[in-house]
Amino acid sequence: MTRDPSPIVLRLLNLTPVLLLGVVLLLFGLQSNRFLSGEHLSGLLAQAAPLLVVATGMTFVLLTGGVDLSVGAVMFVGAALAGRLALDGHSLAFCAAVMLGVGLAGGLVNALLVTRLRLVAFVATLATLYIGRGLGRWISETRALNLPDDFNALASTTWLHVPVPVWIAGTITVAAQAVLSGTPFGRRLYAVGADREAARKAGFDTGRLLAAVYVICGGCAGLGGVLALAQLGAVSPRFGELYEFDAITAAVLGGTSLFGGRGRVLPGTVVGAVLLKTIFSGLVMAHANPYAYALITSAIIFVAVLLDSLRHRVLRGLARRVIRLEPAGQRDA
Amino acid sequence: MTSDESWIARAKHRGPRTLADGSAFMLAVNVAAFAAFAIALPDFRSPANLATVLVSSLPLLLLATGQTFVLVSAGIDLSSPALVGLVSVCGGLVMSADVGWLANHPAAVPVGLLAMLATGTAAGAANGFCVARLQMPPFMVTLTTAMFAGGLAVWLVHAVAQTETLFNLPEVFLALGRHGWVDGPLAVGAAFVAHVILARSLVGRWLHALGYNARAAYLSGVPTSRVIVCAYALSGLFAALAAVLLTARLETASPSHGRPLLLDVIGAAVIGGTSLAGGRGSVLWTAWGVLFLAMLGNGLTLLNLSDFVITIIKGLVILTAALLDQWRRHWRTTSASVADTVIA
Repeated sequence: MTRDPSPIVLRLLNLTPVLLLGVVLLLFGLQSNRFLSGEHLSGLLAQAAPLLVVATGMTFVLLTGGVDLSVGAVMFVGAALAGRLALDGHSLAFCAAVMLGVGLAGGLVNALLVTRLRLVAFVATLATLYIGRGLGRWISETRALNLPDDFNALASTTWLHVPVPVWIAGTITVAAQAVLSGTPFGRRLYAVGADREAARKAGFDTGRLLAAVYVICGGCAGLGGVLALAQLGAVSPRFGELYEFDAITAAVLGGTSLFGGRGRVLPGTVVGAVLLKTIFSGLVMAHANPYAYALITSAIIFVAVLLDSLRHRVLRGLARRVIRLEPAGQRDA
Repeated sequence: MTSDESWIARAKHRGPRTLADGSAFMLAVNVAAFAAFAIALPDFRSPANLATVLVSSLPLLLLATGQTFVLVSAGIDLSSPALVGLVSVCGGLVMSADVGWLANHPAAVPVGLLAMLATGTAAGAANGFCVARLQMPPFMVTLTTAMFAGGLAVWLVHAVAQTETLFNLPEVFLALGRHGWVDGPLAVGAAFVAHVILARSLVGRWLHALGYNARAAYLSGVPTSRVIVCAYALSGLFAALAAVLLTARLETASPSHGRPLLLDVIGAAVIGGTSLAGGRGSVLWTAWGVLFLAMLGNGLTLLNLSDFVITIIKGLVILTAALLDQWRRHWRTTSASVADTVIA
């Protein structure tokens, strides 16, 4: 569809997330000239790193038309376990590996529920959300765990003047986009999301594709948990709570459809996650009334979602013409 | 409308109700849970405790009832628990003797109640407008509304009273929440009316048609936009009713009322057998789901199980409910005709 000569309006609507991020950056930059300094921007990216990683995993799930509500709970289980291990004197690398393992295991459970037991993703991951939060509180004994300082060091170390979490998040997002647009696996995900039955009839192993997506999402949640833990330095009983909504919001702000088959990690989800964190950081810096944060943030999200639905309608209108012009086989290319 | 009539006729000529029927199945599950707890726990079967179970489940019943309308229309309302907080604050701002707009005025309670119901309904209708007219995804619309309503409630309380909660509500209002004599029949009555609307009225059938196949419903003349707005407005109205109950019972107006109920609201509907894909659901089923969750929470607490074990068990129950629903539907499709499944 994008190969067609399209009206300027469509181009603009397609660039909505990027433009919105630009506008927000500009507005906050006018408020305070420190906002657009390299130091602050790299700090901003470092803050956004955990969300970037989790939202990248979420994008994979959303692309197939599913949803994973359990990412926050999976982060919590991993963090609680890592916290206990770290306090028992285990090394940082070991704890991080455990968190990643917990994430992958949580993703595998979701994958089995969705593919083998054929449960609706929303319900299956709602159940694992409950179970995960219960498990996490059991492991952490509903106490806050303060981690040793070397955990925080991960967040503050820089390489080539860029914080390590940003390098990690950057690598993950670039790799994810490469997988999505450069491999048969990635393109099959779009096919499954657009029409699962058609994808199955085309000979794709939809069960295995869906399973892979939930495992990837779980793994990203585990890794995002490591980054979030390094940032906070402590596991509170509310660690990761409602993170799933942040991740979904970031992906949707970046233009990913909740109905599957449409979306990108780069620039999409990355722009969405950075936009969310920019709004928050900008409001803090502008000394806005803390009670107004939620109001302003939700208003901006609302505008973004509204513009996205508008774009979706315009695209759908154009797609109708394109289908008639092109042979049916080329539509998904 | 011949096809419509045959549709109903077939529904009426369905054979004796089996365990595959949602409501009979949930009744059996509830009886089993009740029997198990009553035998194992003498404390559970004491009249006082049973009354506590029933009364404490009322706010969840109201929220889940409203949610059922939206779920049947193939939407989802994540905002209703947050609306409870906003509505509660609105009521407090009108009625509280400390900072209320109508403090100690005889009209405070009726105006306050009216303001509460209007706020909830208006917020719900706004959700519906965004979903129906602006064609925004329900998940994102109501998530944003939840964030906005939650933020607005906290901001209002701080701007007006510089506190977290509003106290000193009128005695007449608080009487609504005492002993469950007024709020009990009120909540059950509201849920019953909701059940009749969803199961027997034209709007209810429109909602089912819309949730089952939106395009077909539109083409056959269902005023889809208005029906969707109606579903979300009803969800907002029921959130407001839940707010009235919680505010009166806890004797404070606070932005945090209702917030912990989000997962239980959807959980109760799912346990009852309402489909998240739309087109299938009933307030009666949801009520069974609410009752089951309430008994489970109470019974497990009496067993001295800790909070985290209860959370895990709730998760397992939702999983089991979803699995049973899957098998039940499979069984029904294989044992009955396809047309029968469509009606159910």
